Amino acid sequence: MSFINPKTIFTISKKELLDNIRNRWIILLTVIFIILIITFSYVAGGGREDLFGDMEASVTTMMAISSLLIPLIAIILGFSTISGEAESGALYVVLSYPVRRIEVLLGKLLGLGSVIIISILLGFGFGGIVIALTTGSSSWTGYIGFIFLSIFLGFIYLSLAMCISSYCKRRITSIGGGIVLFFWSLIYGTVMMAVLFASGQPINSILTGDLPEWFINSAVFSPSDMHQTAVYRAFGQSAVTFDAGGGGGITSIPIPEFLNLGNLLIAHFIWFIIPLVLAYFLFKRRDI
Amino acid sequence: MITKTIRCPSCKTEITISGNPNEKIDITCSNCNLKGFFRLPSAQTDDRINTNSFAIEVKGLSKMFKDLKAVDNLSFNVRKGEIYGLLGPNGAGKTTTIKAILSLIHSNSGQIKINGFDIKTNGIEARRSVGFLPERVAFYNNLTPLQTMNFFCELWGVDKSIAKPTLTEVGLIDAINRKVGTFSKGMVQLLGVAQVMIGKPPVYILDEPMGGLDARWVKTIREKIKWLNEQGATILFSSHILSEVENLCDRVAIINKGRLIAEDTVANLNKYLKIKPRLSILIKGLDGKVPDKIKELDGVELVEANKDILFVTCEPNIRSKVIITLEKEGYKIVDIKTIEPSLEDAFIKLIEFEGGDN
Repeated sequence: MSFINPKTIFTISKKELLDNIRNRWIILLTVIFIILIITFSYVAGGGREDLFGDMEASVTTMMAISSLLIPLIAIILGFSTISGEAESGALYVVLSYPVRRIEVLLGKLLGLGSVIIISILLGFGFGGIVIALTTGSSSWTGYIGFIFLSIFLGFIYLSLAMCISSYCKRRITSIGGGIVLFFWSLIYGTVMMAVLFASGQPINSILTGDLPEWFINSAVFSPSDMHQTAVYRAFGQSAVTFDAGGGGGITSIPIPEFLNLGNLLIAHFIWFIIPLVLAYFLFKRRDI
Repeated sequence: MITKTIRCPSCKTEITISGNPNEKIDITCSNCNLKGFFRLPSAQTDDRINTNSFAIEVKGLSKMFKDLKAVDNLSFNVRKGEIYGLLGPNGAGKTTTIKAILSLIHSNSGQIKINGFDIKTNGIEARRSVGFLPERVAFYNNLTPLQTMNFFCELWGVDKSIAKPTLTEVGLIDAINRKVGTFSKGMVQLLGVAQVMIGKPPVYILDEPMGGLDARWVKTIREKIKWLNEQGATILFSSHILSEVENLCDRVAIINKGRLIAEDTVANLNKYLKIKPRLSILIKGLDGKVPDKIKELDGVELVEANKDILFVTCEPNIRSKVIITLEKEGYKIVDIKTIEPSLEDAFIKLIEFEGGDN
């Protein structure tokens, strides 16, 4: 009979955590992440009170960094975790032990996930302290929601990266997969923009915020956009406001009812679980 | 009615006997006329005895990689307590077979048991009985050997206190705080040997354990294999070099193109194959001419000359006679080398025996 042994999962995750805490890329990225978050929260929170000045605004700025760096950290952690170890031979030894492949996969997910959690807690912990000191601001529930959603974003990209790693035969091909994954939100945004203009919308609708609902709702197909929308919702906002520049003043795009926090969390979960299940079947069937 | 094949204890000739369960049967060996008796097992225990006497059973294993048949209906059994060599040239299907035994790859057909456990239905128990040292062993570059060993101890479910003594035993105790990423190939191999020993499994599978290592490491690994076997372990290891398995294996299987072409003791195989080492003699001014006197010597099988090098295939005990004869004839010998028979020579012979492989 096949049962999952939690002890094996724990052992694997501990090893992944230990191995990656000493990985210089992850150290470098985490340090950059922490520095940027502190700087941004200071600049946004204290330095330019006329424009931003409260926690929500600080978070908006921090999000620009985190929604770029968290996926990057997750992809670097996950892209070669199976393909790379299969190529080097480390996986031969582990899988010849009395372990199940699902235990190895879940152990890796939890171990690499805890590296992401540590980076985020360090970065946002320091960021939150700086905001609190400079603004004395209040929406802590929103901020905690932001941290939670950031961790969720990390796990989505980790699950996607592990899926790529399970599929790719070699480390080098999974690097390619990781790059496509990293730029997916950008690629997707560009494609959707083209679809938008092809549908007859004027080009300046992007600036005026006069966008059709389907276009905004399509954010669920881009983890990064979906994440940002969810963060706005976590702060109780129903519109995204930004200064588009060009003297047009503040533009406000209302978030459609479809993108409520509940639906967004379901979308997050789907983005997380489907690649993970796929990764499991690919890994299970894989010849190492 | 039970049928059983046994081997004559003296000359190892196979004898097939049949009779009722528990029946005592008198036997006379057809080859050496040794007389004896054998009691057939009782019907109920027959199956159990059979399974229990094998550490590894491979039955009808086949594996395709796209259009390539890497392993083709391969069957062999490794008896408990023996050192079994899997021999074959590169690409013969040795690693594929080993990976299939460990369920690292999924076979297209066939049944495999380790210590009686079917790898498909009872994989965890099967792998609990075996320690594996892969051909290209690798670990985690950021971990120290002690951290690596602790990890594998936890994975086996054995106490971590054996990590340090095992590292001492393989000679890595001085490097205990270095990252594995800074290790040489030999040191990584030793760590591989250390991890394979922690679970004290009854069966060890070693894929090319001496491949690419220098003579000193090869000696260490050979001694380790012998030692493990003396402790009662069964060992299956693969190699593409005949001299590596000589004096070490109880039996060898030779595979080529994924098929078993011979299975026997090394001594029998050598006799059967009749491969002899070749002498390579560098003679000043030979110029491609074969000296007649050498051809006439007893025990010389083949003499060939290539420019200044004379190749002589002969019985080992007349090598000196060859040299003396050459000197008597006035040839100026510059250098002498012995070329050990390679496995490739064995394959050519075996394929000839099979009457052409394809």
